[in-house]
Amino acid sequence: MIARIAAKEFTDTLRDGRFRWSAVIVGTLLCAALGAGARHYTDVKAQHDRAASTMRDFWVNQPAKNPHSAAHYGLWAFKPRTLLSLVDQGVDPYVGVAAYLEAHKQNEFQFRPAMDATATQRFGQWTAATIMQLLLPLLIVVLAFPAFAGEREQGTLRQLLSLGVQPGALAAGKALGVASALGVLLVPAAFLGAAALVLASSEGALGGEWPRIALMGLTYTAYFTVFVAVALAVSARTRSSRAALLVLLAFWAANSLVAPRALSDVARRVYPTPSAFTFVTALDADLKKGLDGHSPDARTAQLLKATLAKYKVSSVDSLPINFDAISMQQAEEDGNKVFDRHYGALYDTYRKQNTVHQLGAVIAPLMAVRSLSMGLAGTDVEHHQAFANAAERYRRRLVKTMNESMAANSRSGDFSYKADPSLWREVPPFEYEAPPIAQAMAMQAPSLWLLGGWLLVALVSVARTRSLRLD
Amino acid sequence: MTATVAPTPGSHAAVAAGQRTGAVLEAQGLTRRFGTFTALHPLDLAIAPGEVFCLLGANGAGKSTTINLFLNFVEPSGGRALIEGLDVTQHPLETKRYVAYIPETVMLYKNLSGIENLDYFASLATGRRHERDELLQYLLQAGLQVDAVDKRVGGYSKGMRQKVGIAIALAKRARALLLDEPTSGLDPKASNEFSELLSMLREQGAAILMATHDLFRAKESGTRVGMMKHGRLVQTLSTADIGHADLERLYLEHMRD
Repeated sequence: MIARIAAKEFTDTLRDGRFRWSAVIVGTLLCAALGAGARHYTDVKAQHDRAASTMRDFWVNQPAKNPHSAAHYGLWAFKPRTLLSLVDQGVDPYVGVAAYLEAHKQNEFQFRPAMDATATQRFGQWTAATIMQLLLPLLIVVLAFPAFAGEREQGTLRQLLSLGVQPGALAAGKALGVASALGVLLVPAAFLGAAALVLASSEGALGGEWPRIALMGLTYTAYFTVFVAVALAVSARTRSSRAALLVLLAFWAANSLVAPRALSDVARRVYPTPSAFTFVTALDADLKKGLDGHSPDARTAQLLKATLAKYKVSSVDSLPINFDAISMQQAEEDGNKVFDRHYGALYDTYRKQNTVHQLGAVIAPLMAVRSLSMGLAGTDVEHHQAFANAAERYRRRLVKTMNESMAANSRSGDFSYKADPSLWREVPPFEYEAPPIAQAMAMQAPSLWLLGGWLLVALVSVARTRSLRLD
Repeated sequence: MTATVAPTPGSHAAVAAGQRTGAVLEAQGLTRRFGTFTALHPLDLAIAPGEVFCLLGANGAGKSTTINLFLNFVEPSGGRALIEGLDVTQHPLETKRYVAYIPETVMLYKNLSGIENLDYFASLATGRRHERDELLQYLLQAGLQVDAVDKRVGGYSKGMRQKVGIAIALAKRARALLLDEPTSGLDPKASNEFSELLSMLREQGAAILMATHDLFRAKESGTRVGMMKHGRLVQTLSTADIGHADLERLYLEHMRD
């Protein structure tokens, strides 16, 4: 009986002009977003690969020079785009794509696409994720609001109930009917999306990306299911289809427009992030005075004492190594502790803000879906931090290699020492791989639970439709 | 003709209930109050197979309330409504299997054709699929023109919708029909066709309860008429015992004041 009801709802919906038009519009937008996303991804990936190899060439082709100068010369680390960023760009446009790695400093990321964006782009990028998160729920609302309320108005609900149809079967059948109608749009779109991913991935095969893709598919399926169920629940309880539409549009707007903004305000108020200026000022202050409060001069004096004792000599000049290089490395490591503390605190705040966003899913399921989608696409703050950490580790290793070469091969005060260009090759090229899916999902527990909760409540409410009002 | 109504005696459940009086539709002290207003004073009524009981009365006399009580669309405030001996509030789904409900305008899905509507309602009513030939039989038996069968019902007249309603009743082999002013707004020819269909169903053994304003139809199609006023059944009489003119006079007398 449920299948019969679903089949009728499916036919009825497909014959409805409103559905056909809105499905064509949403479908076209979705295809365009996927196409543009794939195109953009391949372009940016090519640029990234070119830039990264050019950077490596610059580094290894440096002439013989003082290793510390080489450390100052530095290099750029470019953040690779993840394959699924073609579906969901996440925070990528706002956090920058490249970091300059040099001696003494952990730099902020540069080149944020949002900086180049025109005013209209402030409304957001139309990625496939935006369309699935905002427009598809709207389509579901338009599709499902009259499910019960419309039949009630037209009198067919009396006719149905006079036949002895179980309200639960009717609700389940209608849910399946709406789902099948959506399937007409979404199944081809999913194939297209898969094709776009396969074509865009450089290996021609998706390899390790499958679990992320599958989970993303499940996330959106759950989201759509929640919307279908909410729409049916509202339609079953409102007197007129007008009222049903009004209530559902209000829910859609609260979920899609109000909640994300309100929650970021709340998160910022509860866990404020420092302004760029405050952050840099505090960082510089700690770099100058050192974390332990000793002046840099005092620390250098102490290091000298220890070094002299180690080599059992009495003056800097009799040291077999370059004390300046050792001192620089020491300063580097002291600085790193400061960076770790300040950047660590900053990312901690981001993470707490992120948890507030995720908990917002209690009211708006979008918050859970947005977080999961970005996390799976590898474009959330968590992934950005993983990349930033990898770049920073690489910087520290590079600087250390340079300082150690200088310390071992020259004497104190000798800044004219030039290292052989073979030294540049001792630093391997920067390579970065996104963290594994388990790590990416570890921060998503609130989203997973809350989306699961919505899904459960939604399905139970449909399955347990016991009685239907007749007017 | 394959379609017969009420082909089998009462179900096991009904027999077990031990309440058979031979009536398909039965009201026992059936009452309905809305707040302090009493829409239906205790009503006792029994309609046997082959009977057409016409409820007459002004708007608000309690006719539709009676039908809604039998459909369990409203809860009784007292008494019971029985279909095939089963209390409709305790067996809401099973009792609906025995009845067909035809309101003033039969509501159908405008995006579906006549036969698709019948297919849908019939399969929900009986829980099984029907062959197209069988469905076509029901529609033709109900008097729908063959060229209208595959047209979407958006363009159907009221009379054509009634015929689809009758076809649904035929498909589910209803033992009882609940008709709520089915001939209002039909032209005389359509109204006459509807009466003939009722006669056919009655002859096949259906018990029919019809609320109507149409004294002429009540006399023509009914076996008994009941006059309702302010929620009370004030008089019941057999149509065989009274002529058209007397029925009208009696009705107007009751409606006075």
